[in-house]
Amino acid sequence: MNDQPRDPEPLAAEPPLALQRAQEARLRAAWTLPKGWRYWSAVNNTEVGVWYTATAFLFFAFGGVLALLMRIQLAVPGNEFLSADTYNQVFTVHGSVMMFLFAIPVFESIAVIFLPQMLGARDLPFPRLSAFGYWCFLLGGIFLSGSLFFGAAPKGGWFMYPPLTSAYQPGIGADMWLLGFSFIEIAAIAAAVELIVGTLKCRPPGMRINLIPLYCWYVLVAAAMVLFAFPPLIAGSMLLEVERAFHWPFFDPKGGGDPVLWQHLFWLFGHPEVYIIFLPSIAIIAMVVPTFVRRPIVGYGWVVLAAVGTGFISFGLWVHHMFTTGLPGISLALFSAASEAVAIPTGVQIFCFIATIAAGKLVRSVPMLYACGGLAIFVLGGLTGVMVALASFDFQAHDTYFIVAHLHYVLVGGAVFPIIAGCYYFFPLLSGKKLSDRLGKIAFWLLFAGFNLTFLPMHFTGLRGMPRRVFTYPEGLGFDTLNLVSSIGAFLLGSGVAVVAWDLIRPKTRQPLSARNPWNAGTLEWLPSMPPENWGVRSIPEVDSRYPLWEQPNFVRDVDQGRFYLPDAEEGLRETLVTTAIDAKPVQCLRLPGPSFVPFWAAFTIGGFFILGTFHWWWPALASLVVGIGVVCYWLWTATAKRPEKPEKHVGLGLTLPLYQSGSASVGWWAVLITMLAVFTAFVSLVFAYFFYWTIHDDFPPRGAKGPGVLWPCVAGALLAAAWAATMLARRWNRADRAGAFYVAATASVGLALAGAAAMLAGPWLTGMDPTRHVYPAIVWLLAIWTALHAVTGVLFNGYCLARRLAGRMDARHDIEIHNAALFWHFVAATALVTVAVIAGFPLAK
Amino acid sequence: MKTSAAPRLPERHESLWRLIVSPTVWAVHFMLSYITAAVWCAKYVPRSGTLEPVRWLIAGYTLVALGAIAWNGWDGYRRHRHGASELPHDADTPGDRHRFLGFATFLLALLSAVAVAFAALAVLYFHDCR
Amino acid sequence: MVHFLSATSARSRPHRAGAASAVAVLLAGCSGPQSSLDPAGAGAREIADLFWWMAGGTVVVWVAVAWLTYSAVRGRVAEQTARQARYYIIGGGALFPTVVLTALLLHGFRILPPLLAPAPPGSLRIAVSGEQWWWRVQYQPDGEEPVELANEIRLPVGEPVEFILDAPDVIHSFWIPSLGGKMDMIPGRTTRLTLQATRTGTFRGVCAEYCGESHALMAFPVVVMAKAEFSAWLAAQRAPAQAPADPLAERGRAAFLQNGCAACHAVRGTEARGRIGPDLTHVGGRMTLGAGVLTNNRAALVRWLAHTDRVKPGVLMPHFGMLPAAELDAVAAYLESLR
Repeated sequence: MNDQPRDPEPLAAEPPLALQRAQEARLRAAWTLPKGWRYWSAVNNTEVGVWYTATAFLFFAFGGVLALLMRIQLAVPGNEFLSADTYNQVFTVHGSVMMFLFAIPVFESIAVIFLPQMLGARDLPFPRLSAFGYWCFLLGGIFLSGSLFFGAAPKGGWFMYPPLTSAYQPGIGADMWLLGFSFIEIAAIAAAVELIVGTLKCRPPGMRINLIPLYCWYVLVAAAMVLFAFPPLIAGSMLLEVERAFHWPFFDPKGGGDPVLWQHLFWLFGHPEVYIIFLPSIAIIAMVVPTFVRRPIVGYGWVVLAAVGTGFISFGLWVHHMFTTGLPGISLALFSAASEAVAIPTGVQIFCFIATIAAGKLVRSVPMLYACGGLAIFVLGGLTGVMVALASFDFQAHDTYFIVAHLHYVLVGGAVFPIIAGCYYFFPLLSGKKLSDRLGKIAFWLLFAGFNLTFLPMHFTGLRGMPRRVFTYPEGLGFDTLNLVSSIGAFLLGSGVAVVAWDLIRPKTRQPLSARNPWNAGTLEWLPSMPPENWGVRSIPEVDSRYPLWEQPNFVRDVDQGRFYLPDAEEGLRETLVTTAIDAKPVQCLRLPGPSFVPFWAAFTIGGFFILGTFHWWWPALASLVVGIGVVCYWLWTATAKRPEKPEKHVGLGLTLPLYQSGSASVGWWAVLITMLAVFTAFVSLVFAYFFYWTIHDDFPPRGAKGPGVLWPCVAGALLAAAWAATMLARRWNRADRAGAFYVAATASVGLALAGAAAMLAGPWLTGMDPTRHVYPAIVWLLAIWTALHAVTGVLFNGYCLARRLAGRMDARHDIEIHNAALFWHFVAATALVTVAVIAGFPLAK
Repeated sequence: MKTSAAPRLPERHESLWRLIVSPTVWAVHFMLSYITAAVWCAKYVPRSGTLEPVRWLIAGYTLVALGAIAWNGWDGYRRHRHGASELPHDADTPGDRHRFLGFATFLLALLSAVAVAFAALAVLYFHDCR
Repeated sequence: MVHFLSATSARSRPHRAGAASAVAVLLAGCSGPQSSLDPAGAGAREIADLFWWMAGGTVVVWVAVAWLTYSAVRGRVAEQTARQARYYIIGGGALFPTVVLTALLLHGFRILPPLLAPAPPGSLRIAVSGEQWWWRVQYQPDGEEPVELANEIRLPVGEPVEFILDAPDVIHSFWIPSLGGKMDMIPGRTTRLTLQATRTGTFRGVCAEYCGESHALMAFPVVVMAKAEFSAWLAAQRAPAQAPADPLAERGRAAFLQNGCAACHAVRGTEARGRIGPDLTHVGGRMTLGAGVLTNNRAALVRWLAHTDRVKPGVLMPHFGMLPAAELDAVAAYLESLR
C-alpha cells in the first residue's frame, strides 16, 4: 500500500528539563489572563466560553422560572394568578429566551470552549470575535429579559406573526424583539464563522477529515446551518421592523402585502433552528458514549452521514409549521415527505450509539445516565414528530398542547439532557474538580420523572382540544386533571434543575482535584493537566488516530514534554497552527491577538444602534452605529493583518512555516467568505419576497404602477461592475507592487462605487415611488437600499486598503486587506446584478 | 497489487464539495418541485385546476435527480472500495481519508435518493391544486 | 448501569391487568365536547383512527428501542464485534425506518386529498370571519339569501358543509376538534374547510392561532342537529328581531339605542345596523355570551355589559358599568328577549 503514514515522529529524546521549564514559563506568560478588572478584557476561548455558557445557563434558569409561572397559572381552570397580558408576555419571553438566549448560545459557547481543545489548537482563529459575540449576547439578552420587569416585553409569541405584531401591538415590545434578536443573531453568525474556520483550518497536523472528533463534525454542520437559517429571519425581521416604523406594507394585505410571507421567512429559520440546537447537543453524546464503553464509535461514517444529511433535509421542513394555512395539498405532501425523510438520519445516529454500547463494555457513570435518559425522551419526541409530519394528523394536532409536548420531548431529550450530560462530563476540564455523582443522580431522577409527568399528559391535553398559548381554560372540558398533573410535574422538574445548578455553583475548594483525564477518554480535549493551564496544549501533537490518547503510544508524555509542534513561545506571542481543510497539513503559524476591551466597545456601540432603534430614536441610533464602525476599524487597524517581524518560523520537528498568508490561504479570507454567504442568503430572502408577491398577485408589478425604470438601475449596475473591476485591478497592481497604479485603481473604485450607490437609489427616487402606498415600491426600494449599502460598505473596504497602503501596513507581499476587499466586491457585484435584473429586468419580461 | 502502483492521492483532488453533491441535488429537486407546484397553482389555474403538467415536470426532475445521485453515489462507492481496506477507514493515510469521504458520499447518496423518492411519491396522489 | 433503566424495563413488561385498566381509563379520558379523540365528524374520525394506529406503532417502536438499549447496556447480548454491531445501524437505523416511513407516508398521502376536498355543489356554505375575539358567521344556503349571525355554529347532521374563512384583523384559526382539523383565517386570504358531522350533539370550537390578549377567550358552541330541525332553526334566525313583549325589555330597547349600542351592533328589524360587533338579532337564543365565555342568561348579560373588559381583557367593546343597575338589567332583559 502506498498510503502508509509518513508523518513526522515526536522528538525521540526528552528535551532537557531546564528547556522544558523555560518553554513552559514563556507559554504561561504569553497566555496569561489579565488581572483585576482587566480580567474582563480576556479573549481566551476558555474564559469567554465559560462566561458565555454561564450566561446562557442563567437565561435558561430565567426561562425556566417563566415556565413555572405559566404552570401555576394553568394549574387550575379560570385561574387569575397572571393577567392575560402578563401571561402573553411570559410565554413569548419564555420561548424566545429558551431559543435565542439559551439553546443557540449554549451550543456555540460549549463549542467555543471545547472545539479548540478537541482539535489540539491553542485557541480559535479569531479570539476577539468570540469575545465580541459574547458581549453582544450579554447586552442584547439583558435588554430583552429586562423588558419583562417593565411590562414592556414582546407579546406576539416567539414566532411574532403579523399582522398581530405589525399593526395590533403598539409599544416597544415587538420592536425590542425584532431589533434585539437581530442583534443577537448577528452575534450567533459571528460565532458560526469562528467555528467553521476553526474546524476546517485549525486542526492538529495529521488529523485528516476522516479522523476529526464527531463533535466537530456536528458543530461544523450546525454552524453551516446557522449561515443559511438565520439570514431569512434577519431579512424578515428587517421587513417587519420597517413596516412597524415606517409603514411599508410588507405584511399588510391592504397595501398588497401578505402575512404568510412572514411565516415562510420565519420557519425557513425556525425549523433548521431545531436541528441547529439538536445536532451539537447530540454531539456531546457522541463523545460521551465511546468514552464510557471504552471503544471507538461504531459507524463513524454513518454518524457523519446523519449529521450532514440532517443538516440538509432540515431545510425542507419549514412548511410543516404552515400545514393549516390553506396551501395546496401537493405542497403539504412535499413537506410531509421531507419531514418523514429527516427521521431516517436521526434513527441512524441513535442506532450508532446503541451499536457502540453493544460492541463495548459499559462503565456506569452520571454522564451516561443523562445520555440514556435523554435518548429515551428524545426517541418519543422523534416518534411524535413522525406523527405530526403527516399533514392530516397535524390538522388536529397543530397549535395544541400535543405540539407543546412534542417539541419539549425533542428539545429537552435532544438538547437539555445531553447538555447536562456534558456538564458532568466536561466539568473537570473547566475547574479541575468533578461534580458530585450523588447530586447528579438525584437530579437525574427529579428531572426525568418531573419531565415526563409534565409533558406526557400534554399529548392528551392537546388531543382533547386544548390550544396552545391560552392564559386560561374553562372547567369541565377534560383539561383540569391533566393540567394539574403537568403543573406538579413542572415543579419536580424545576427542583431537578435546582439540584444541578447547586452542584455547579457549590463551593468546591475543599474537594480534591480530579485525576487527569478522569474518565479515561481517548480524544484530545482530555490532554490538560488538572487544573488546566491557559495555553490549551503544551505542544501541538501530530495526530494519527481518532482516539489518540488511547491509540498513540506515549502520547500524553510527548505532548507534555513539548516533543511536538510549537512547544515554545519564543517571541512571547500567542500562536497556533493553521492546517489544510482535508488532510490537515500545516501551512501557517498563526499569531493570535491577546486581551482587549475593543470587542466590548464594539459590541456596546453596535448594540446601541439596535437598542436605541427600539425606541425609534433613529439619529442617536445612527450615531451609535457610526461610532461602532469606527471602533471596528480601530480593532482591525491595530490587531489584524499584522506584518510579522520575519517571514517564517521554525515550529518544531524540522518544520518551518510562514507567519503570514493572504488570499484563500488565510483564515481571514475564509471568515469574509463565510460571513458573506450569510449576507447573500439574507439578500436572496429579499428577492424571494419580491417573487412571492408576484405569485400572490394576479398583477405584479401592478399595471400602471411606477417602477424604477430601466435607465438608472442599469447605470448603477454598470458603475458597480466597474467598481468591482477597479478593485480587481487594485489587487493585481498591489501584488505587482505598482503603488501608483494601485492608488489610482482603488480611488477609482471608491468613486465608482459611490456613484453606483447613488444611481441605484436614483431609480426609485426619480420615478417617485412611494413605499408606503403599496408593497411593490416598498420591496423595490428595499432591494435598492440593500444594494447601495453594500456598495457603501465596499467603499469602506477599499478606503481601508488605501489607508493601509499609505500607512505602510500593506504592501505587495502583505496584502490580506485587498484580497478580502476583492472577495467582498465579488458579492457586491453579484448583489448588484441580481438587483438590477429583478427591479429593472423583471417588469420588462412580464 | 494494483493499488501499490496507484498514484498518490493528493489533497487537491479531494474536496468536501463532492460529499454534498447528492444532498444538494435533493435540495434542488425539492425546491424546484415545490416552486413549480406553488407557482402553477397560484398563477396559472384556479383552486380546482389540474396538476397534470406539474406532475410530469416533477417526474422529469425526479429522473434527472436520481440519475445525478446515482452517479455521485457510485463515485462514492468506488472510492470507498479503493484499495483493499475495510471500514472504519480510520488510518491517518490519504487512502483512508479517500475511502472515508467515498463512504460518506455513498451513504449520503442513498439517503438523498430516498428523500427524492419520498417527494416524488407525492405526485401519485394529487391531481389538482386543492 | 442497572438502576436508571429499570423504568424502561418495567415499561416493557407491564402487568396485563394494569395495562387493560390503563387503556380503559385512557379511552374514557378521551371523551369531551372539544376532544379530537371523541369524533363526531368524518374528518375527525379518519384522523383519530390514524392517531391510534400511529400511537400503537410509537409505543411498539419506543419499547423496542428501549429494550435494545437496555440489553446493550446490560451486556445481555454477547459483546458484539464492530461488524455485527454495524448491522444494528443498517437494520434498525436505516432499513426499518425507511420501510415503515414509506408505508406511513403513502397512507398519509392517500387520506389527505379527501380531507381537502370541497363540499359538493349545492352544499350549505358558511362564511366565518375571525375577529378579535369573536366570530362573524354568515349562513349561505344554496339559492337563498345569506343570514348573518355570530358566535355560534349550527349544522345539519350527515351533510358536508363548506366553511369559507377569513379575518379582517389578525390571523385566527377555526377549529372544531370533534368534527375535523383546523384551518387558519388569514387577513387578505380566503381559506376553505369542509366538515361533515356524523352525529347530533353539542360541541365546542375554538380559535387555535394565538391572536392577541384574549386569544384564550375566543370559542363558540357547535350544535349538530337533524336536517329538518336545522332548517327550521335557520328560518327562525332569518326572521327579524321580535318586538319587546314586556315593559322591562321595552325600556331595555330604548336604553340599548340611547347608549349607542347600535353604532356597533345590528338588531335586524330595528334601527340598530352597526357592523363592527356581533349581530344581536337573536342573541337571546344563543348558548353563550362573549364568544363561548359565559353561559347565556340574564345575570351573565348584566355581567358582560358592566364588566366587559374584565370578562374579556382587551376587548374592543367599552364596558357600561357606569349605567345604573336598573338600566343594565333592562338592557339585559331586552337582549335576553331577542330569541
